[in-house]
Amino acid sequence: MTGLALLVKDLRVSYGPKRAVDGVSLDINEGEIFGLLGPNGAGKTSTLSAIEGLLKPTSGSILIRQVDARAHPGLAKALIGVQLQSTSFQSELKISEIVKLYAGLYGVPLTKQAIFDRLTEIHLGDEASRRFSQLSGGQQKRLSLLIATVHDPPLVLLDEPTSGLDPQARRQLWDRIEGIRKSGRSILLTTHSMEEAQSVCDRVAIMDNGKILTVDTPAGLIEKHKNDPNVLAVARGQVTLEDVFIGLTGRELRE
Amino acid sequence: MSSVSEPSAVTTQPASPPLRAPALSEIFRALLEADFTVQLRNNRALLLSFALPLVLLYALFASFAVKRGIILGAPQFKVAAALTLGMASIAILGYSMTVARDREKGVFQRLRVTPAPTWAIMTSRLLVQVAANLAMALVLLVAANLFVGVSLTAEAYLLTFICVIFSSALFLSVGQALAGLVKSADTLSAVGRIAYLPLFTLGLFGQSTVFGTTFELISRWSPGGTVETLLSGAMNPSSWNSDTWLALAVSTAYSVVFAGIGIRWFQWGAR
Repeated sequence: MTGLALLVKDLRVSYGPKRAVDGVSLDINEGEIFGLLGPNGAGKTSTLSAIEGLLKPTSGSILIRQVDARAHPGLAKALIGVQLQSTSFQSELKISEIVKLYAGLYGVPLTKQAIFDRLTEIHLGDEASRRFSQLSGGQQKRLSLLIATVHDPPLVLLDEPTSGLDPQARRQLWDRIEGIRKSGRSILLTTHSMEEAQSVCDRVAIMDNGKILTVDTPAGLIEKHKNDPNVLAVARGQVTLEDVFIGLTGRELRE
Repeated sequence: MSSVSEPSAVTTQPASPPLRAPALSEIFRALLEADFTVQLRNNRALLLSFALPLVLLYALFASFAVKRGIILGAPQFKVAAALTLGMASIAILGYSMTVARDREKGVFQRLRVTPAPTWAIMTSRLLVQVAANLAMALVLLVAANLFVGVSLTAEAYLLTFICVIFSSALFLSVGQALAGLVKSADTLSAVGRIAYLPLFTLGLFGQSTVFGTTFELISRWSPGGTVETLLSGAMNPSSWNSDTWLALAVSTAYSVVFAGIGIRWFQWGAR
């Protein structure tokens, strides 16, 4: 680990009177995969949206590789790659044209051959002339991930990257995420899947009600909270990451 | 779907982070290329841009209209009316609905997480619409020359194209205001159709007292009527007078007001 890819301090985001993110602080090292776990409405997507520049925080600071994202949004956005929770592209464009558009928006000129090569790398070379809506869910996610990393950003933000995917497609995407990390980039991802958090993430933060409740490695979280009465109350045998999650965030259903 | 057993496409090339924000020219090049492609592939937009005004042009000059005494104004005014219909269609039925649809699908949010400034995202789209209006104007003026004998001098062509840009600004700002005020694409589709008809048809009677002088006055200074006065003046520069200057000023004022509404209430996301 050579430095910080992301440093967020005391971030607050409000929707009118409702505070969605309430003093979140986190840091991500270079080459690290950091997971944000939380029930629906915990503030995960709002935190990501503030880092991405989609939401204006009410207070706090965001440094992406020491670039102040609030003061220099253009440069900060050039340093991150983003895969939104649900994404879509202009329906009239072919997927090769979508790749060209997004590469161009980051100032990365790609030849037709280079676009084809990148699509082939994610097994979409034969689909280059199809539209985004004609792709399967797994193919759409792969394309979204390709577009998020088309400019080789040092930090990649993935909002529930594997939601709605079958086990095969999910495992493949995990391989790709691991590949991104191996190339030296850092990843911040949100997920509902404990399996994903344990398999992919170096460190995990559990969020609820706009606050980070705890941060550690998946094994560290279990170790740290295995004797917590709330965790023990929900455990069925050996304490798992899911028991820690439910113990800390409660059993109530979230909308 | 690929199977899990196939070679993992792990990207192993070293990250080479671009430690600079891309130049505005690079961003505009990418946006304009994509937006022009979208416009050319949008069959509904092409139909609205070219077929509708040509049909109206034919109807206004058709012998049945003349035989029944339907005289709405000078030949240039009729051509201006057809141009106005084309511009209103492009802006209200084309542009605003595409914006609402893309907003609902999350296209704008995806673009906004790139280094492209929000104003550049929208400006690119508007420039493509202005280009579509100019292309429509060219086709219509050539058709008017060939089929109904309305020929223009070189000076008139130039002035007309300049006025088409001003008029496009008016209708596109109306479209922007609608997209700003109405969030849902379905609702906007209904509201757009309702707004579109009076916006255009009211202007048709700006040079006719068939419904009385009060109606004629309202019609003349409605957005559609203002544009028709402006364009018919541009097509016959010798007739350009104080009314035409006033029409230019009023259409600019309409553009500013509607653009202000569109910018103030526009939301990039559907939620």
